[in-house]
Amino acid sequence: MSGGTAGRRWAVLLVLPALVPVAAVVGAALVSAVLLSLGLTPLVGQPRLSLDAWRGAAGDLGTATLLSLGIAAAATVVAAAVGLCLALAATAVVRRSRLLGALAALTIPVPHLVGAAAMGLLLADTGFLPRLLGVSPDAWPPLVGGEWWVAVVAEYAWKESAFVALVVGGVLASRARSYDETAALLGAGRWARFRFVTLPLAAPALGAASAVTFVYTLGSYEVAALLGRPFPEPLPVMAVRLAGSIDLTVRPQAAAVAVTTAVLALAAVLLALRALRRLSAWD
Amino acid sequence: MTSSGMLRLEELTRVHTAGQPPALDGFTLDVPAGSCVAVLGPSGSGKSTVLRLTAGLDAPTRGSVHLDGRDLTGVPPERRGMAMVFQRPLLFPHLSVRDNVAFADRVRGVPRRTARERAEEYLGLVALGGYGDRPARSLSGGQEQRVALARALAAEPRVLLLDEPFSALDTALRAEMHDLLTDLRVRLDPTVLLVTHDPAEADALADTVAVLDGGRLQQTGLLRELYTAPASLAVSRLLGGRTEVAGTVRDGVHSSPLGDLPLPGWVPDGPGVLVVRPEAVRVTAPGDPAADVTGTVVRVRRRGLRALVVVEVPGPGGVPVEAELGAGEELPAGRPVGLVLPVAARAVVPPATTSAPTGARPGTSRASVGGGPGRRRP
Repeated sequence: MSGGTAGRRWAVLLVLPALVPVAAVVGAALVSAVLLSLGLTPLVGQPRLSLDAWRGAAGDLGTATLLSLGIAAAATVVAAAVGLCLALAATAVVRRSRLLGALAALTIPVPHLVGAAAMGLLLADTGFLPRLLGVSPDAWPPLVGGEWWVAVVAEYAWKESAFVALVVGGVLASRARSYDETAALLGAGRWARFRFVTLPLAAPALGAASAVTFVYTLGSYEVAALLGRPFPEPLPVMAVRLAGSIDLTVRPQAAAVAVTTAVLALAAVLLALRALRRLSAWD
Repeated sequence: MTSSGMLRLEELTRVHTAGQPPALDGFTLDVPAGSCVAVLGPSGSGKSTVLRLTAGLDAPTRGSVHLDGRDLTGVPPERRGMAMVFQRPLLFPHLSVRDNVAFADRVRGVPRRTARERAEEYLGLVALGGYGDRPARSLSGGQEQRVALARALAAEPRVLLLDEPFSALDTALRAEMHDLLTDLRVRLDPTVLLVTHDPAEADALADTVAVLDGGRLQQTGLLRELYTAPASLAVSRLLGGRTEVAGTVRDGVHSSPLGDLPLPGWVPDGPGVLVVRPEAVRVTAPGDPAADVTGTVVRVRRRGLRALVVVEVPGPGGVPVEAELGAGEELPAGRPVGLVLPVAARAVVPPATTSAPTGARPGTSRASVGGGPGRRRP
């Protein structure tokens, strides 16, 4: 239909002003990173196609990738679970307790760096929590800089759970109550209502918010750098360290790590979009 | 359908905000097993509150709900054996039509296959056999409401609660749904508590009607009785009565600017408002000796084939009386006419205690002039 085609063309035109800068910045950055990692735009010497940078980084790349995926997955799962609970609590007691909503919303404008510093002060072996509990630094588990990256996951989960709660709560607030009442009158108890009605209704929003959380955590640097251990490093920490190194010849390795991170994030987004399309078919 | 239950609402009172007048005040109603009772009332009269309290979605401030003699106080909605169809269909958007209808069985633990087979039966009952595989959102408004009805019936409730379920549908669809529900009542014999603002809907569906206004029960009975003998101005107005002539009753005769009109039954002496339904009033020639009053047509309002005329009878400020003309009859404004007010159609209700909201319903011809002699017969 010509009307439909014209309408679509008009829609594309309207989107262009937003699309062009994004494509230019992200595209240019990615292309230059790829070129750098392949030795085609060296800082010193002649351009030459080579996989040297990838080979150089390969030793730590596998561990870093697994570590990054692990941190992002753990933080996402915790944030999604806590966020969903917050959203349910906030919508269940509509108007009666705005405190919960306010607390969740307050978390959002706090920068991650500030959150990380606070988490460090709270969870370190000489931090606030062990002092409050009267545990000596020796007996306190290594939450900050420890083997399990607990403080890092905790910080991401804390901050992102508020984001998840905001997104999911918005969806539930507008529709959950009437469906919940309908289900109750059809004989569904509390658990059945959650399992068969509330959760499916929240699923698209929860999935989208979780995908954003995962990708953000995967590519985020500062929290892992502050609260993590020096080795092994997650991908973004490794990329920043290599890029800032005084040895200029490792710059292409930094680019290789950055490209890997971007590819992983892109793959996660594509997978999430596919899953969400199925979930949102009814939304 | 499992055995239909006998519902009794006792002194139900609900105060939403302390200090405010109650949304529902001492509401008592019996719904015999297998019957359909309609709660009829204007918006904000508290009729939805009746259903929410009955279903257990809200707790009454006072009073109780009894099902087959059992007090349901503190019983959560899912254990009350009631199902409700709301004004909006509220089909679960993530489920197919069939799974929506199978919902009650699924949460009861019935195996998926059995639940789906039963769902197909109920879809057949609402004439939607073969629609099971469709997504819930692909249906039209009327179909959605049919599915909502099938879903509620499939839960085999002891009492079916209907909260203005057809008010969002167009006239033809609504009539179709009324036929469907009448048919379902014959087949399944459910106990139904219906809430509506539409007297025609109550007439089409219910055995008896309870009129609610301002949170208080005004009158219960057969709708025909309510039409001919409303207990109050509120009931008369809600049922479409527009002619109201204030006057005085003495010895079974109502005296007003319309004259002295004998009443069909005993009415206590004292001030009273004469109400006559427009359908009962017959318009004749001004010289007709059978005419009770004469007046002039001042307004004509079209209502499909039949027109409604407002006839102003001379009196202090003019006393408007409404009459419905026969099919196809026409009368221009300004024409003098005679009116026959059949004795059986005359009813007297107590004068409104508070000032009547005259501005609330534009176009009505309510008269609140004082009684007096001024008998004018041709």
